Amino acid sequence: MRSGNFKQNVGELIALTDSKSVATWSCLLMVALIGAPMVLDAHLLGLVTVILFTLVGALGLNILMGYTGLVSLGHVGFLVLGAYGYAVTVGIHGLHPLLGFLMAGIVPAIAGVIVGAPSLRLKGIYLAITTMAFAFIINTAILEADFITNGSSGIFLPRPTMFGISFKSDAAFYWLCLFFAVAALAVTLNIRRSRIGRAFMAIRDNDIAAQSMGINLIAYKLLAFVMSAFMTGIAGALFGVYLSFVTVEGFTFHLTIEALAILVVGGLGSALGVVLGTILIVLLPEITGVLLSLTGDAAQEVMATKAFEVRNILYGVIIIGFLRFDPTGLVGIWKDVQRTWVNWPLKY
Amino acid sequence: MNIKSLPTTLGLVAGLLLGTATGALAEQQGITDTEILIGEVLPVSGPPALLGFAHTLGVKAAAAEINAAGGINGRMIRIIVEDDGYVNSRTVEGVRKLLTVHKVFALTSLSGAAQGLTVLPLVRDSGIPAISPIGIAEELHTPLVPNIFVVGSTYDAASEAIVRELSALNPGKSWGIIVQDDEYGSLTHQGFDRALADLKFDVAYDDKYTRGQRDFSSEMLRLQASGAELFMMGGIIAENVGMAKELERLGYDIPLGSSFVGRVPAILKLMGDAGSNLYATDYVVPEQSEKGIAFLEKLSGFLTEDEMAATNRYTFTGYIAARAMFEAISRCGAEPTWDCTIEKLEGLTDFETGISSPVSFSADDHFARLELGLMKANVDVLAFEPVK
Repeated sequence: MRSGNFKQNVGELIALTDSKSVATWSCLLMVALIGAPMVLDAHLLGLVTVILFTLVGALGLNILMGYTGLVSLGHVGFLVLGAYGYAVTVGIHGLHPLLGFLMAGIVPAIAGVIVGAPSLRLKGIYLAITTMAFAFIINTAILEADFITNGSSGIFLPRPTMFGISFKSDAAFYWLCLFFAVAALAVTLNIRRSRIGRAFMAIRDNDIAAQSMGINLIAYKLLAFVMSAFMTGIAGALFGVYLSFVTVEGFTFHLTIEALAILVVGGLGSALGVVLGTILIVLLPEITGVLLSLTGDAAQEVMATKAFEVRNILYGVIIIGFLRFDPTGLVGIWKDVQRTWVNWPLKY
Repeated sequence: MNIKSLPTTLGLVAGLLLGTATGALAEQQGITDTEILIGEVLPVSGPPALLGFAHTLGVKAAAAEINAAGGINGRMIRIIVEDDGYVNSRTVEGVRKLLTVHKVFALTSLSGAAQGLTVLPLVRDSGIPAISPIGIAEELHTPLVPNIFVVGSTYDAASEAIVRELSALNPGKSWGIIVQDDEYGSLTHQGFDRALADLKFDVAYDDKYTRGQRDFSSEMLRLQASGAELFMMGGIIAENVGMAKELERLGYDIPLGSSFVGRVPAILKLMGDAGSNLYATDYVVPEQSEKGIAFLEKLSGFLTEDEMAATNRYTFTGYIAARAMFEAISRCGAEPTWDCTIEKLEGLTDFETGISSPVSFSADDHFARLELGLMKANVDVLAFEPVK
């Protein structure tokens, strides 16, 4: 049983985990995730696929909001830019999907520099409103630039084939999303422990103090926007491929609210929190449906015709509930459970 | 396990799985001895439920009518509805669930136009017979998709029809038009342009608005200043209500044209007297027509009072789609299959539903284009009546 966090060398300091049991469980989880398509039916596999590409986008938002403390309500703009970056490259020009994924990251990243510029002067609610305006501008720009984007007609997207491997089947596309999700998770976990991550967190905690310590606010705030937009763009491309048809209608502002809910519910600034939050928020309609199916016909009737309203109310209630009773989110609850397990029967 | 025996074991497992799969293919999904499962994906919650829920009522009534008469060759029809809330990602999840969890035999709706396009590859690849009566996107029928059938009319055809009809009723008058900045708006303008090229009327006002816009005060002032004598409202529900109310406030009373998309009682309720000069074209009969009244009376035998209150034109379109699908399944006899149903749908000619022109498909054309008729709003009874 571990009793502390005492580190004896650099290797231990930079390791992703110093716990053998965590490493073992992670490996087992990875094996289970790789083997999931053999066990799950198409619907459940679809849900897990949604969780995976949502996770990529949520981890991107977490870099900006969780690590750097910059509020964004416009991430759906980066998501739609990523989807169009991929769709225009692959769906219209027929170029290699790998180039499509690259463009899905680069195009939003460039937009991230433009949107990030106001963050040098704006904070909190003012920055949130600015980023929200960006999301609306992007939709209009895409519709107007129909010579590039097909405008309101949208773009059909086939499932990609890369290096001779076809991702046409649901299982193959799931593995592609799993690859990106694991990569995004590894990147965000490593960023946090790097010089860049420490600079982000210093800016989040006190930007004036960070600047006085030699952190270049302009560079790091823009970098946070660029990295966040890049990852969100990749999620947008995966979302577009999942939908198989990209149009601005498919990227509603509601997605921004879902992303915020994921961060708040999971635990802002924690990669594990983002994972837990994503799972809960994506599965929320399913969980609600199952729970209501146990309560009788009247509740089922409500769910049959008021699912949209019920889901929105639940998002609100859950966000308020976590903010009021446990702002650390699901990751906080998970840590409390771990602490209780380690210290039991003692309280502390 | 001995490593040398691994290929043999894998071969046996593969053979077993293949055998199971072949066995499963032999039985057509969604069909039991007593039941045929039909699936739908639609918005039945949230604001778009206005159309989605009404559609399900039409399908429900069609199924109840068939079931009351003994079902399809002795099998009762059961409908499973997946709510997508008009959100593309949920349409994908809904169709996936219908195909693989509920294992339905056929689909009688693919939600709206954008949603239908989103699930097009999924539905096409599955091979399931499907009818799309709400989302009438061109890609659903051209080029021909072997298992997807579309029934109704296109937005551009509806727009062209109303402009032609209102021009005929008001010869020599100038037009104004405003459209939404999306595919729907673009198609509405295409229809208007076709009528313009043919009839060569004056266009005093031509504008575009941003999707989601609710305040049309400046646009309607410009319309009034232009002196347009007829107005094509290219909005859907809230937008058309906003425009009509604004024109009423300005005291600018001119004939208003709209497509069938937002032709629902709710729009008349919201418009009030502002809707008294509202015209529309539709491929289903108006509620206040002889056929419309008879149909609603028939429906009241299958739907509850609350459900009847929720009916609108989408109940009519749902009924048409469902009856066409059920007819095709019925023509397949005791052992309907997907292939047979598709073949019978292709052979469906001049199929009468009583509430539209006859439905016809062919092997080369999976789009049953129904005739459009002109109708005018009657705000007193919150319904539309035919224009003679």
